[in-house]
Amino acid sequence: MGMMTAEQYEESLGKLNLVVYMFGERVEDVVGNPIIRPSMNAVAKTYELAHRPEYEDIMTVTSHISGKKINRFTHIHQNTEDLVKKSKMGRLLGRETGCCFQRCVGMDALNALSIVTFNIDAKYSTGYFKRFLKYLEYVQENDLTCDGAMTDPKGDRGLPPHKQPDPDHFLRVVEEKKDGIVVRGAKAHQTGAVNSHEIIVMPTLSMRKEDEEYAVSFALPSDADGITYIMGRQSCDTRKLEGGTMDQGNLMFGGHEALVVFDDVFVPWDRVFMYKEYDFTGQLVEYFASYHRQSYACKVGVGDVLIGAAQTAAEYNGASRASHIKDKIIEMNHLNETLFCGCIACASEGRKEPSGTYCVNTLLANVHKQNVTRFPYEIARLAQDIAGGLMVTLPSEKDFRSPETGKWLEKYFKANPDISTENRMRILRLIENITLGTAAVGYLTESMHGAGSPQAQRIMISRSSNVAEKQRAAKKLCGIEE
Amino acid sequence: MKNDLGSMLRVGVKYCGGCNPEYDRVALVEQIEKRSGEKIDFTPYGNGKVDLILAVHGCKTACADMSGFEGTEIWNITDIKDAEKFIGEVVNSGTGI
Repeated sequence: MGMMTAEQYEESLGKLNLVVYMFGERVEDVVGNPIIRPSMNAVAKTYELAHRPEYEDIMTVTSHISGKKINRFTHIHQNTEDLVKKSKMGRLLGRETGCCFQRCVGMDALNALSIVTFNIDAKYSTGYFKRFLKYLEYVQENDLTCDGAMTDPKGDRGLPPHKQPDPDHFLRVVEEKKDGIVVRGAKAHQTGAVNSHEIIVMPTLSMRKEDEEYAVSFALPSDADGITYIMGRQSCDTRKLEGGTMDQGNLMFGGHEALVVFDDVFVPWDRVFMYKEYDFTGQLVEYFASYHRQSYACKVGVGDVLIGAAQTAAEYNGASRASHIKDKIIEMNHLNETLFCGCIACASEGRKEPSGTYCVNTLLANVHKQNVTRFPYEIARLAQDIAGGLMVTLPSEKDFRSPETGKWLEKYFKANPDISTENRMRILRLIENITLGTAAVGYLTESMHGAGSPQAQRIMISRSSNVAEKQRAAKKLCGIEE
Repeated sequence: MKNDLGSMLRVGVKYCGGCNPEYDRVALVEQIEKRSGEKIDFTPYGNGKVDLILAVHGCKTACADMSGFEGTEIWNITDIKDAEKFIGEVVNSGTGI
């Protein structure tokens, strides 16, 4: 097959028989649904850019297993340069779409499994790594988008999986057959789930012997029998149903999340990458989380868009020469580039694992993601400050087009005489979209909780920081001898 | 402009990945092509034999992957000034590369 074009990707999605529900009804045409389609457009961008010479250096790479040119989203990192290019790819696509483009999570699942399947084999002689490589070859050859599904609903947070009042609150194996396993449970917050060809399931936390039925990782076609998708709502989502080109802010792109239910789903053995090796669940979670925390490089690209929008709004308002506006733009850039520093640093300081895969520096990846839980909120606050209150009090596009009211909006919302009122409204709608509309799901709350909530990073920072060495250095300098 | 064999100079264009370019790389190459008129045949790199590779980087980091171009002359562009230099020395000089 080779690398798909954006058109081929859309066509391939159309062939899937996904069971998707939204607003209480089955969605028959998933690709064509106006609420879902912008998220499909964002994934399609990952295919489109791979075919353009001006992006090929970042978007494509040579496969270490086939020697063929592949889309980087299906690649296993072979050196730190690959890791750096992954971070740069995140910024590029964040800037080109202004939203979550959803495809990073599958790449991160593949890379984590390339390490952990090898490590399980080394201890238990299980044969998972060979199985994984065969699956990887299939993904690369067909240029597939994979959903990396880790987060279980988790039920009572104070209880381990096997003690939950409802045993399905963590995804588990309910039956073992000669030719495979049957799984039941759900994965929540699944970004890009209905735009994916495959779903790769991983356990959500470190487990003990009593939880071994929950220690399972596997991959399935996204339309396998028994899988149901229930779409999450986003703030302002139904604006996409209203027609027009202004009120949704971002004309082309968006993201989506879904609850994915596995109702006794059969998984053949050749798609199982972990089963009962509970002592490797923590490792899989940590590798995946480290990669995925690096992936928040995308927010730098969305930050680029928001900074550009804020500067434009200032100019359209006639306020761009004010010193405090200039200073706010400087602060937005400072915060955004600090995020870029983190995702480049954790990649540059990456290391080789026994499987040959390169992994990011765990400490720096967690520091980067911790910054991502904070800085986009401040960048968004500054953007709203610069934009002004009109961003949230603007009448609708229909009022702007109305012969009765349009003239008044045209007259009273005119600011800079060189700029049309419509363009002023458009840039304000984009800022609204990113800071409190549909894209705020990705730019803000996903920045907070995606790839683990802030406390998860603080635990990893605590575990990864060599404080004893810092103490040694301090004591030596002031003459302490113990 | 001719190469040593007397045929039109062929320039292969190679871009960096464009993660955070400081200028529009594609528009700049279009400008160079326009100003070169009929003097130079610009082509994507890898599209047959070329006399020169024009490496178009979006910033001074100049990180385009240039492996595989060993033995071919490479002209790096990292900003608009570099482009002017290329036009002055390669396109307008009439002396070849």
